[in-house]
Amino acid sequence: MGAAVLGPISGCGLFGDEEEKAPPPAPDPLAPLLTEALSLAGQHEAAITAFPVLADRLTPVAQAHREHATALTKVIKAPAPSASASPDPSASPTPPGGDAKSTLAALRSAEVKGQKSAAQACQAAPADRAALLGSIAAARATHLEVVR
Amino acid sequence: MSPEALAAALDAEHAAIFAYGPIGVRLDTASAADARQAEATHRGRRDALVLRLTELGATPPPAAPSYALPYPVTDRAAALKLATEIEERTAAVWRAALPQTTEADRSTALAALTDCAVRATRWRRRAGVSPATVPFPGRAA
Repeated sequence: MGAAVLGPISGCGLFGDEEEKAPPPAPDPLAPLLTEALSLAGQHEAAITAFPVLADRLTPVAQAHREHATALTKVIKAPAPSASASPDPSASPTPPGGDAKSTLAALRSAEVKGQKSAAQACQAAPADRAALLGSIAAARATHLEVVR
Repeated sequence: MSPEALAAALDAEHAAIFAYGPIGVRLDTASAADARQAEATHRGRRDALVLRLTELGATPPPAAPSYALPYPVTDRAAALKLATEIEERTAAVWRAALPQTTEADRSTALAALTDCAVRATRWRRRAGVSPATVPFPGRAA
């Protein structure tokens, strides 16, 4: 008697709703590139804060990385973690150590690394993403001409 | 693989090679050396495109006997402006080839887009144009 009453309760289950939820979507292959764009933007912004004398040189570069992040967010299907607005928490609060010269050197190696990953992403991308990724890779290469 | 995209790139390379003639004679010594190197790179891309198109069974478009310059190149400023524009235009054509290509052809297109973008930045720096970079090289502004 008691079991018949309890049956439907345990059968429908308190967790029934959760079982119907779709599994989380697989991360987009461009997610790491978006994270990298935000990190690069944050590193340049932190360098500008620490060395205002570098602002003329680095501001357009930081802005380019922000624009890349916005464009990547648009093509990535899965919702990105508040990508376009807030600076990457992993990058910006850390003030660059050392002097302006070593800061520029660190930015240059970050750009080199970033160019490599964007080029790899371009090489592996479907046709509809290839042009955007090519521009991002090329932009990062041009940053090495001005981050010095 | 689309031979049309590579043929368009070849047309742009022919035009770039032509343009560096009148550009080079108006430049200072240091810039003229860069112009010669740029022209050599464009010739290398051209030669590789001719081979690749032939391999694909397409007829590589020949260079025109002459190209109309968008404005007279009478001084250093005009030469630097045209050099920048030539690299921007060539970058745009290679960028447009990216979605039409895969594997080695895409890698070539990306390398070409990248070095056109880098040269455009160098020409802007020489011309005192600021900023010297653009966020999306090869994309229509």
